[in-house]
Amino acid sequence: MAEVVSFLNVSKKYHLGMTRTSLPVLLSRWIKTVMRRSNQEFGHTGDFWALQDVSFSLREGESLALVGENGAGKTTILKLLAKITKPTMGTIRANGTLSALIELGAGFHPDLSGRENIYLNGTILGLKRQEIEQRFDQIVDFAELEKFIDTPVKRYSSGMAVRLGFAVAASIDPDILLVDEVLAVGDSAFRLKCMNRIQELIENGTTLIFVSHNMGLVKAVCEKAIYIEKGTIKQFGETGDVVDAYNHALDQRRIHAHDHVRGGVTNQKGVCEISRVTIIGKGLDQDPLMPSRAALIGIEYHAFRDVGEIAIVLRIIRSDGLPCAALYSQKDQASLLIEKGDGRIEVTLSPLQLFPGTYYVVVTIKDKDQWVVHDMAYSDWFQVQSGWPGENDLDAVFEPNRRWECKRRDQENPDTLIAPGAMG
Amino acid sequence: MNLPLPAIIQYKDLLAAWTRRTIRGRYQQSLLGWLWAIVQPVASVAIFSLIFTTFVPVDTGEIPYPVFSYIAMVPWTFFASSIQDMTISLTLNFGLVTKVYFPREVLPISAMLARLLDFGVASLVLALMMLFYRVEVNPELVLFLPLVLLAQAVLITGLGLITSAANVFYRDMQPLLILLLQVWFYASPIIYPVSLVPEQWRVFYYLNPMAGILEAYRSVLLYQQVPDHTFLIAAGEAMVVFVFGYWLFKRVEFQFADII
Repeated sequence: MAEVVSFLNVSKKYHLGMTRTSLPVLLSRWIKTVMRRSNQEFGHTGDFWALQDVSFSLREGESLALVGENGAGKTTILKLLAKITKPTMGTIRANGTLSALIELGAGFHPDLSGRENIYLNGTILGLKRQEIEQRFDQIVDFAELEKFIDTPVKRYSSGMAVRLGFAVAASIDPDILLVDEVLAVGDSAFRLKCMNRIQELIENGTTLIFVSHNMGLVKAVCEKAIYIEKGTIKQFGETGDVVDAYNHALDQRRIHAHDHVRGGVTNQKGVCEISRVTIIGKGLDQDPLMPSRAALIGIEYHAFRDVGEIAIVLRIIRSDGLPCAALYSQKDQASLLIEKGDGRIEVTLSPLQLFPGTYYVVVTIKDKDQWVVHDMAYSDWFQVQSGWPGENDLDAVFEPNRRWECKRRDQENPDTLIAPGAMG
Repeated sequence: MNLPLPAIIQYKDLLAAWTRRTIRGRYQQSLLGWLWAIVQPVASVAIFSLIFTTFVPVDTGEIPYPVFSYIAMVPWTFFASSIQDMTISLTLNFGLVTKVYFPREVLPISAMLARLLDFGVASLVLALMMLFYRVEVNPELVLFLPLVLLAQAVLITGLGLITSAANVFYRDMQPLLILLLQVWFYASPIIYPVSLVPEQWRVFYYLNPMAGILEAYRSVLLYQQVPDHTFLIAAGEAMVVFVFGYWLFKRVEFQFADII
């Protein structure tokens, strides 16, 4: 298969700050420099390397995801490929027709009808009028806008406008397709339709470059991935590996960010204080935490006086902020009494039933009857580890208690199910 | 001529669609709509007619002053409004320039094409005026009109490509242009005849391509004459400006998305 896209030592530099400095600004800066006799470089503005020495190549029908944080350089790669901007250094090759979905509905004019905007948007994306005419019905059908096609686009809901934009873009049959986060909008049914269309294009030999923050989507669509950080390629390989590496890096960053926040939480009235929240695996070896084993959450407190009966709200939150579990002591009719001095409240989760990943626990101690918060605290980050090698590839939160059974229909009596091997 | 024209030809459907969009957008939700194309030149000519026939009479020979000035006012309005629209065409649509690839000259050129409609509408009024004042027209000479218009369009395209590109880098282009067009207006034979320009200055006066072009419109429609050498000078200048403008535009085009 032929090489379709290649980047060779590509770098891109942007100027920071105002692109052009006005005369009065230059003048005042010059006067300041003279007055202070400072050695500050005159008229200097910083440069920013959006990409540095990026090389990769793709063959026909391959699909590549670009993952990385905002500002890492993902969109710059797409813009370079789409010829919107030129590299400062290096060579870019793209063989074949290319279509870039960086913005949906580019050039839409609100006063024009859906029909007119299809032509407008289509020609902007490089289609000929005749080509649009051929695809017109297909576009309208895909967008599900038959009734509104002669209505001005300004009367459309934002979802309708997005559908129209994608329908035009999807009608293009390019050799290379660039997709930048455009699928983040629109309802889920339409999103699915778009994904199917993209899959269809890949199967027909289109080379895809896909930018998304949705790792599930990335894994579903792309075979290869590049993890970009600060303009350089950190990892290039199979999507699963790259996404794991990226997720891990994100976790680390969140953990780091979180450590700074935690010290700020204090109790309101000084009635009682949570001194520590821990979570450990419960069993013979007390470690590590696994989905199928029991876990013990310990809440250590210090009470300055007799508090009486309290209630606890406990949440388990995954590193990306997803709340995974919520426990409320009052719902469980747990009677928790706090007396003056130190103590410990324990909750046993048996089994833990959380998928492998990084989590933390948030605990709030409340008054039993009134909505007074005595204290709130976080646990350290904890890792739930996998007891089974393939588990890391599954993106999930919860592992229910389960029992598997296999039965077959009885030949003589089709209404009954029996175990295989048993006599009917 | 070895110009990078294929790009724009390949995108001619976009040029047409974008021109349509500009026209449709301009007169949407407007009461007078395309009638605005007439209001502006007619109003100016009405004012100047009052001044230069009543207060400070100007000799325009056998030609009634309103026809004399309107015939130049229409192409001038086309010239000035085109260049103003072209200048802001890239910065106005920066969302497109930074997000989609297409030959950038589509935007300024379609800005001019959209003004061509106004030119046509305003010309209808000219025809009515000439009928009203019974100005005789030589039908063979009218065949020169497309040529004069072409020369003017070439000039406008060249200038507009330069100003639109410059406006991406420095927004000063817009206010500067308003000033420049004001001076240019009085430096062109629109509200006064060339005969008022001192003989010894004429050589320099006709270095202004708009002088040759406007006089060419007059000689074809009013004086029953074939356009003279001043039009050839203007057409030559227009070509030079066009080639230079296109070359410059294509040279800096790739920087637009980064700088805009």
